[in-house]
Amino acid sequence: MNKIRKQYLPFVRAGVQTLIAYRMNFMGFIIGGLIYCFVMYYLWQAVFLSSGDGSFMGFSMTDMVVYIFLSNVTGQLTFSSASNDVGEEIRDGSISMRLIKPVNVDMSYLAAEIGAALMRFAVFAVPVMMGIEIYRYVVCETIMFDLVRFLLYLLSIVLAYLISFRVNLCFGFIAFYVKNLWGIGILKNSIINFLSGSLIPLAFMPEQLKIILEYMPFASMNYTPVMIYMGKYDIDEILFRLAIQAIWALITYALSKLIWFRAVKKLSVQGG
Amino acid sequence: MIYAENLRKEFTKIIKDPGLKGSFKALFKPRKEIVVAADNISFHVPKGEILGFIGPNGAGKSTVIKMLTGILTPTKGQCRINGKNPQNDRKKYVRDIGVVFGQRTQLWWDLPLVETYSVLKEIYEVSDENFKERMSFLNEVLDLKEFIRSPVRTLSLGQRMRADIAASMLHSPKVLFLDEPTIGLDVVVKDNIRRAIMKINQEEQTTVILTTHDISDIELLCDRIVMIDKGKNVYDGSLTELKKNYGQMRELTFECDNECSMSAETFKSGLHLSKDDIFIENDKNVFKIRFNSDVIPVGDMLNYTLSAARVKDIAVRDADIEEIIRRLYKEGAKPNE
Amino acid sequence: MHRALKIYKILVAQNLKRVMEYKADFFTGAVSFLIDQAIGIAFIFIIFSQIPQLAGFQFEQIVFIYGFSQIPKGIDHLLTDNLWSVGYFIVKKGDFDKYLTRPINPLFHVIAETFQIDAAGELVVGISLMIYAAPHAALCVNALTVTLFVFAIPFCTLIYTSIKIACAAFAFWIKSSGYIIQMLYGMNEFSKYPTTIYSNIIKFFVTYIIPFAFTGYYPALYLMTGENPLFNIGGAVIISMVMLFVSVLIWNKGLKAYESAGS
Repeated sequence: MNKIRKQYLPFVRAGVQTLIAYRMNFMGFIIGGLIYCFVMYYLWQAVFLSSGDGSFMGFSMTDMVVYIFLSNVTGQLTFSSASNDVGEEIRDGSISMRLIKPVNVDMSYLAAEIGAALMRFAVFAVPVMMGIEIYRYVVCETIMFDLVRFLLYLLSIVLAYLISFRVNLCFGFIAFYVKNLWGIGILKNSIINFLSGSLIPLAFMPEQLKIILEYMPFASMNYTPVMIYMGKYDIDEILFRLAIQAIWALITYALSKLIWFRAVKKLSVQGG
Repeated sequence: MIYAENLRKEFTKIIKDPGLKGSFKALFKPRKEIVVAADNISFHVPKGEILGFIGPNGAGKSTVIKMLTGILTPTKGQCRINGKNPQNDRKKYVRDIGVVFGQRTQLWWDLPLVETYSVLKEIYEVSDENFKERMSFLNEVLDLKEFIRSPVRTLSLGQRMRADIAASMLHSPKVLFLDEPTIGLDVVVKDNIRRAIMKINQEEQTTVILTTHDISDIELLCDRIVMIDKGKNVYDGSLTELKKNYGQMRELTFECDNECSMSAETFKSGLHLSKDDIFIENDKNVFKIRFNSDVIPVGDMLNYTLSAARVKDIAVRDADIEEIIRRLYKEGAKPNE
Repeated sequence: MHRALKIYKILVAQNLKRVMEYKADFFTGAVSFLIDQAIGIAFIFIIFSQIPQLAGFQFEQIVFIYGFSQIPKGIDHLLTDNLWSVGYFIVKKGDFDKYLTRPINPLFHVIAETFQIDAAGELVVGISLMIYAAPHAALCVNALTVTLFVFAIPFCTLIYTSIKIACAAFAFWIKSSGYIIQMLYGMNEFSKYPTTIYSNIIKFFVTYIIPFAFTGYYPALYLMTGENPLFNIGGAVIISMVMLFVSVLIWNKGLKAYESAGS
């Protein structure tokens, strides 16, 4: 364990430093995300005004506001640049440099990302969550924050992140076949945004579709933790959803490994 | 033809301390520093000359070249080619010049080489007639035929360099800038490139400005050299003049029977020499003496050494240009009298 | 002008040849943008499955606005995509040198070099949505409204292009400005919906500061109502011209500050 810590700590530090070095980029993404939240806020406000009775498929406007921002925070926390990083390294061939180091390749990506994720949590997620709690307090006039649910949320986030990382890794491997990383990125983001519930709560989807989507890995990446935080699930359902997340974490892990081993073979055939 | 007048270029640099703490500090309170990459550089190149532009890494060579090619705007001073100034009319100015950066290509990477030429033909408004003529001339000089239909990404470095030079010559520029055109190439390819440059220069009277770290490029091609160091012009003159000024150094190599222990001190005191006039390298029973033949004639030096050691073999050599430049880089130039 | 057109044609031709070399890339790109658009529509569809109208607009009208907002965006994407590369890496890596040693305008050169067929995704979806929604969107169709509406499209496109030029130009000072483009470009989300749903501050912002409202809602509103052409169409023309002027000014200042890369 100590050895692992020592071996991968440099990658974590490198991840933090990269984020600081590209801080403006980082800020850009965050501000871009917040702008998007505001567009959604006004859009939903209009929707709620049009719907007459102030509620929309079991969501109140307050729920919706919390959902929009929380979903964005969750998206930031489970964000993985693995798809881009791996794709870029495959395209320029520098991925072979990873192979000659005596560390596990996907672990080295993971370690670098954990550094960045911790930074995101500290400088972005915490303030926004505090904002959300203040908003809820002002609107509902009671403290809605629940420590147990928050801890369960954190656990769910970790699982969501692991799934997100693996899914991104798999998308990154597409670069072995297609070089249009920009296109792949757009495709990946729009699919994940829609199916994970970060564009629109899965609860608003047609019933049949909703049930299917809730069992897919994408819901585990965003919708599940958000629902847990918002208290939309009771404890049984929480445990059930966490179990589904865990299963997806394992499946996506196996899938990315499988593709990776095939890819490495291809790499050595090509002569790197 | 080319006039550079008091060219100066400043860059602002943000200094980052090492480590995480340094990164954080740079985040909130970046420390800025002005770096002078080129300072008061002036020279003149007449038509048809090949000028070697040399200096150690980071001396500011590229900065000056980029100012001369209109890429960078000088902080102070100006340059003119054919009476034109890149800051006033960049488009007219660049019509007169061709540029090759050895580390970078201007060719269309994914397409067959010939496509690049057809695009450049339009960009530089070369007529069909001229284009044909040009292509056959460049073909003859640079031997493009064998790979002109191959995608650029499949070319070897040597082929790519030839293709790049051809691309920069398509519009018959009056001045050709070559920034490290032989970098990374093997001996045979280097030789090809040099011959091509020579031919272009002779047949078209093209003025050439060449930066390089390869001393043979300079010896074989250049009529004159300008050397800069730390952004300042430290030498400007012909190669022969450089040799005359600095080339009095001779090198004697002795092979002895047994290990010989003659130090620089022995020579200095024995022959009354200053420390700039003699250098000794000792390796077991071989030792090399480099000395200033103006101060002590070769014969005297030979006599002195032969009397002190049992010598098996001797070799005498002129200090070559490389030696001179090494000395110049190390010590800076003597003021030109 | 004639020469510019000739150069443009030959550069685009080169680009298309490149695309043919990498068919899979083109396919991925176009399909990606198509799916991205389809999801955007699914979103609107889901909302309207629960409510009859949004801020006084019918489903088809919102779809029409949405569809139209993709046209200027798509045209800009098709023609000036290389500006993203300027912001992200061309300047940072010093590859901008090339454009400065050629006897044509560097801005024109850099833009002409890329013809981004990925944009087909946006254009196809945009046009399809407009065709689908038009008969039900209660449009006020006559010779004048249609002419002015079509006339506005190039100017709407210039709003996108100007924002990209100005943001890309910042890279000349700060090396990499891709994230600035990303941030401002991302605000085009505002153009998809009626500005009446926003608060006054935001409405002012998307009308006059980063005027994406003129790339979607206002021109579409004109075609629906036939009212206020001076503001809905004229506004787009004037604002786009001012923005283009300012952005080219910034760009030209940037060229002088360009520091290249390496020693």
